[in-house]
Amino acid sequence: MTPPIHVHVSPNDDAPIYRQVVRQVVEGVASGALAPGERLPSLRAMAQQLAVAPLTVKKAYDVLEADGVIETRRGQGTFVSEAVARSTRSAVQRVRPLARRLVVEADVAGLDAHALAALIEEEARALENERASRGEAS
Amino acid sequence: MKALELQGITRIYERGARVLSDVDLAVDPGEVVGLLGANGAGKTTLIRIALGMLRPQGGEVRVFGLDPKREPVETKRRVGYVSEDQVLPPYLRVGDVLGMHAELFDDWDPALAKRLSERFELEPKRRVSTLSKGQARRVAVVSAIAHRPELLVLDEPAGGLDPAARREMLETALEFLADEGSAILFSSHHMADVERIAGRVALLDRGHMVVDQDLDDLRETTMLLRAPVSSGLAVADVRGVDGCLAARAAHEEIRALLRGTEAEVTQRLEPLQNGTPLHVAPLTLEDLFIEFVEGRR
Repeated sequence: MTPPIHVHVSPNDDAPIYRQVVRQVVEGVASGALAPGERLPSLRAMAQQLAVAPLTVKKAYDVLEADGVIETRRGQGTFVSEAVARSTRSAVQRVRPLARRLVVEADVAGLDAHALAALIEEEARALENERASRGEAS
Repeated sequence: MKALELQGITRIYERGARVLSDVDLAVDPGEVVGLLGANGAGKTTLIRIALGMLRPQGGEVRVFGLDPKREPVETKRRVGYVSEDQVLPPYLRVGDVLGMHAELFDDWDPALAKRLSERFELEPKRRVSTLSKGQARRVAVVSAIAHRPELLVLDEPAGGLDPAARREMLETALEFLADEGSAILFSSHHMADVERIAGRVALLDRGHMVVDQDLDDLRETTMLLRAPVSSGLAVADVRGVDGCLAARAAHEEIRALLRGTEAEVTQRLEPLQNGTPLHVAPLTLEDLFIEFVEGRR
């Protein structure tokens, strides 16, 4: 079985490794690369694949589970949550710090709020297109 | 019970220079701790004291509750040790080195030793004196872990190795960790390796333990401030800010490490703001290490 998602970690990232794993799984779910009900590699397999400590992967999976992105079924493994329809409140909570960071970075780079909003629209459209083309392919 | 507990360790050279000043360090069973520090910071000395190879002038050492000086045999039974400058007897053959360790340890697992020897492609008939650095290190690793120690101490295990051999060393340690759940204390200059394996990091700076913290927590609550020298900000001003860990002027910039999240640090720096933007952002472990060491001089 080919892994459903290719996670890649880098020590040159300014986020710790468990955050990188969380981010990439969330991105995988958002882009449709990971479908609801899809099985994730076991802690051990993921740790081996990434060459990181098993505890690091566990920490990432714990965060993902707490956020409702994945669920552990006893004796079966870890799966992308069937009900990825997360409550709006927790979604806002989760995204707010990223939004803050984006605004700060944009400010430093000299982008005003309008330019930033346009950029976000563009990216959202690009994501839509990727999803659509993925749908056609499968 | 702790796998390793060091309390108030002080070591002084004969001429009076302090190598270690009142250093505390504890490692829980199953925990992986990365010991960081510039050359000469005292890492190897601390490791040797932990293993009973050196005696400190002050402080207490306990390995699984035992004093390694008083109960060396029982301590060694539960500990595995690999160091960069480990010397294996040059006249022995690889098979004899492993055989000697098998004799020494009641818990030696011949199947594990065989599996590792095969993976590392060790040649039992080769004399130690003819081995490359990488090959010799592999022999040392098999010797150190085939008795399934509950605490593995690695002093620069990848020192002097090429990237492929270094990765192999890391993967072996990770596999050992996953299989046995042993505690690991290791010193390294390779922050990428530290990041991949350590749960906690301890940073020695000129004999003082200046950081001892969960790695992810350290990464998420330590920020780098960068401001152009032209902003008029002075190193002394930043050092006065609450939570400032290190600060220096370098390459036309003021750089400082501050404890806290991005939002907290930004808020704390507000009184120093005078028009020029102060850039606050998280940083990699490697940069964090450099700023810590350079910014405390």
